Amino acid sequence: MDSGRATSAGGAGFGSAGAAAGRGAFADYHLDPRFHDELFQPDGSTRNACRKLGAALGRIPPDELTALQEGVHRRFLHEGITFTVLGAREVSEHIIPIDCVPRIITAAEWDHIEAGLKQRLTAMNLFLRDIYHGGASLKDGVVPSDLVLGCPQYRVEMRGVRVPHDIYVAVGGTDVVRVGDGFAVLEDNLRVPSGVSYMLACRAATKRSLPELYREQGVREVSSYAEVLYSTLASLSVGASSPRVAVLTPGRYNSAYYEHAFLAGEMGVDLVEGRDLVVHNAMLYARTASGLKRVDVVYRRIDDDFLDPVTFREDSVLGAPGLFHAYRAGNVVMGNAPGTGVADDKSVYAYLPRIIRYFLGEEPILANVETHLCRDPEGLEYTLDNLEDLVVKEVGGSGGYGMLVGPHASAREREEYAVRLRGDPANFISQPVLPLSRAGCFVDGSLQPRHVDLRPFTLQGRDGQNVVPGGLCRVALREGSLVVNSSQGGGCKDLWVLRAQG
Amino acid sequence: MLARVAADFYWLGRYIERIEHTARLLRHQLTGLVDTPADEVALGWRVLYRALGQSAPDAPADLDEAEAFLIADAYTLAGNLVENETNPDSMVSCWEMARENAMQLRPQLPLRVWTCLNRGFLWIRACEFPTAWKVGPAALVSEGIDRLRLLSGIVDATMPRDNAWRFLELGRFVERLQHQTVLLDIWNRFGRTRTEDPSLSWADLLRVCGAFELYCRRHTMTVRRTDVVKCLVRDPEVPRSLRFAIHHIDEMLVGIDPLGSRYPLGRPQRKLLHLAAAVEADVALQGKTAPEPEQAEGASESVFQQLARDGRALHDVIMASYVDYPVAEGLPS
Repeated sequence: MDSGRATSAGGAGFGSAGAAAGRGAFADYHLDPRFHDELFQPDGSTRNACRKLGAALGRIPPDELTALQEGVHRRFLHEGITFTVLGAREVSEHIIPIDCVPRIITAAEWDHIEAGLKQRLTAMNLFLRDIYHGGASLKDGVVPSDLVLGCPQYRVEMRGVRVPHDIYVAVGGTDVVRVGDGFAVLEDNLRVPSGVSYMLACRAATKRSLPELYREQGVREVSSYAEVLYSTLASLSVGASSPRVAVLTPGRYNSAYYEHAFLAGEMGVDLVEGRDLVVHNAMLYARTASGLKRVDVVYRRIDDDFLDPVTFREDSVLGAPGLFHAYRAGNVVMGNAPGTGVADDKSVYAYLPRIIRYFLGEEPILANVETHLCRDPEGLEYTLDNLEDLVVKEVGGSGGYGMLVGPHASAREREEYAVRLRGDPANFISQPVLPLSRAGCFVDGSLQPRHVDLRPFTLQGRDGQNVVPGGLCRVALREGSLVVNSSQGGGCKDLWVLRAQG
Repeated sequence: MLARVAADFYWLGRYIERIEHTARLLRHQLTGLVDTPADEVALGWRVLYRALGQSAPDAPADLDEAEAFLIADAYTLAGNLVENETNPDSMVSCWEMARENAMQLRPQLPLRVWTCLNRGFLWIRACEFPTAWKVGPAALVSEGIDRLRLLSGIVDATMPRDNAWRFLELGRFVERLQHQTVLLDIWNRFGRTRTEDPSLSWADLLRVCGAFELYCRRHTMTVRRTDVVKCLVRDPEVPRSLRFAIHHIDEMLVGIDPLGSRYPLGRPQRKLLHLAAAVEADVALQGKTAPEPEQAEGASESVFQQLARDGRALHDVIMASYVDYPVAEGLPS
């Protein structure tokens, strides 16, 4: 279907200050009926919640928007808001491209998303507790036991381990997309979800760039994230009255290092590396300038494999020897717990609706995306037969690496991928190419629509759950691209969750 | 504070001081290029490189040091200290190392400190040295010094006086102590005592150390070696005197580890007291005349060399006490 430029015809009622797709500042904004547009209605008029934003964007001259955008980029460069890319020969720092136009979510939409996220995280924590303690859900056939037990992220070492407050996942990041008029979960990130620092950096940038509009729109704040995160982590502690919390990072060369440092700084806790930690008598200590000090809670931003060379990968130099021993002994708490990755495996994802029904007796609030498991013969056959229409992903993959976007791949790439699929079908799932919604972005000197997704963060502490009203809104900045990952040319923008009116 | 973080602050301070030291020496040398006789320029480069513990770049191994600096061109010698990323002690390399340390310290470092340091690094990395050379290289180095002073001001204004700041300052003053002892030793060897030519002017040493005006006010414009040494060793009001550095190191150590200053003394404090005693006893040193350069080369260790050695030992003791201590020593009692 051709994308057509929306005209002002049928756009009655915009008023003199009203913005319209295809007109004025939005002359390059071409609506496409295949995709939900976050800013405009199908007739080209601005959506109710976006009227002020549309009008403001329409008033700002393009050179001023360019200057705003450049100002944001310069600030990110000077403040070192970067992500690291490890090349074959060198390490390079990159600035995540920021789009200065915010995306708006209404209060009612957010309430729906928030309820869905909380439901999902509750079910996942119950599921994780179950699979490491008896596995009733596996026996009842909710999820095939071989799928769970054969999952690389399933940690046998966690069997029978008493996890404080049964909170396996304290911090979850969920990728939510809008397809058509509804929201769906694309994937869950339960190991070391990242991106929250960019959420806060984007917010700071748009507050500076569009202060009046921000004030007028009635946007819910996200600045309390670090405080809520600290309370959540501290609440996981067992016994310590004022627990010492530390953020465990793989180090300076990790792509998310900025975020680790940012969060530690905001929370006022130590940012530790494995070399800073010592385990003695099953207690975890940090090496300080004035001797060894007990650590009670570790917010680990390091994969299970590298946590402890004694228990997991013995060649790991990133973790602390004996850390898991201290954890099993109950002398330190880790958020998230080791072994949570099994719940965000892309194959297990397909069973989340069943998991929710089984553990909570409720229908899922947020839908899943149709998923074909290639471990099933019919799933594999369907995937191979429809490769040019599907997105195929590795079950343990992330960052957009190792996936095939069928419609955008060449015949040769599809053939090569099919060989990989047949060789190890259990390692893949496939999903239809989703018509991700599009939001207004300032690209190449004009306002244009680009595909977006959203990653909100859900926190689970001893005293309950908390979803900060916002999230990392990722943008596929290349025209027509559906891949939003920063490692694949994606950028991000601020997400404004509006306060309920009245 | 984490031991590694303490070490990073300490090294951040050292690198900042190292860049400024290099820049000060360079600015003096580059400013003098216009009207200084060639043999004195060559001696200036020789002294500068020696003060930084480096040898002439690309010089054949069998070439005499003095000759190597006579045949080397100023552009190469200056560029090696400013923009050569393969030289670990060049300004750009030190700035990069300072930034690397600061990168590890993001949670503890005020945003403005980081931004100023980062902007300085981005500036020096983007500098076109050949262009700067044409318009006046001293201006480039001066801007570097200005940026470092801005950084010092921001550190001063934004950092709380906690252990992070103390380790940063500790690093700065340990670095300064080491550089100043080496500088004094070199001037003691090559400083002008009679009329031999070429030689180093003691007034220039005061200028490099930013102490010329103060010296003139305290003494006269007639610069005497004994008074210069006294000024740069014992004067507590001269920021680049050994005594000033030792006093600041002492203050930082007391803040970091108050118990270390009580009986029994901590190892860093003991080492520092030893250094302070040596500086106090410089009466003997004042009476000495400077040795001839040729004699000095083969002579036994000078007072300043001893001080330099003690300065290096102080660094080792600080690292062993606060950073690399054995686990058994660090366990809570």
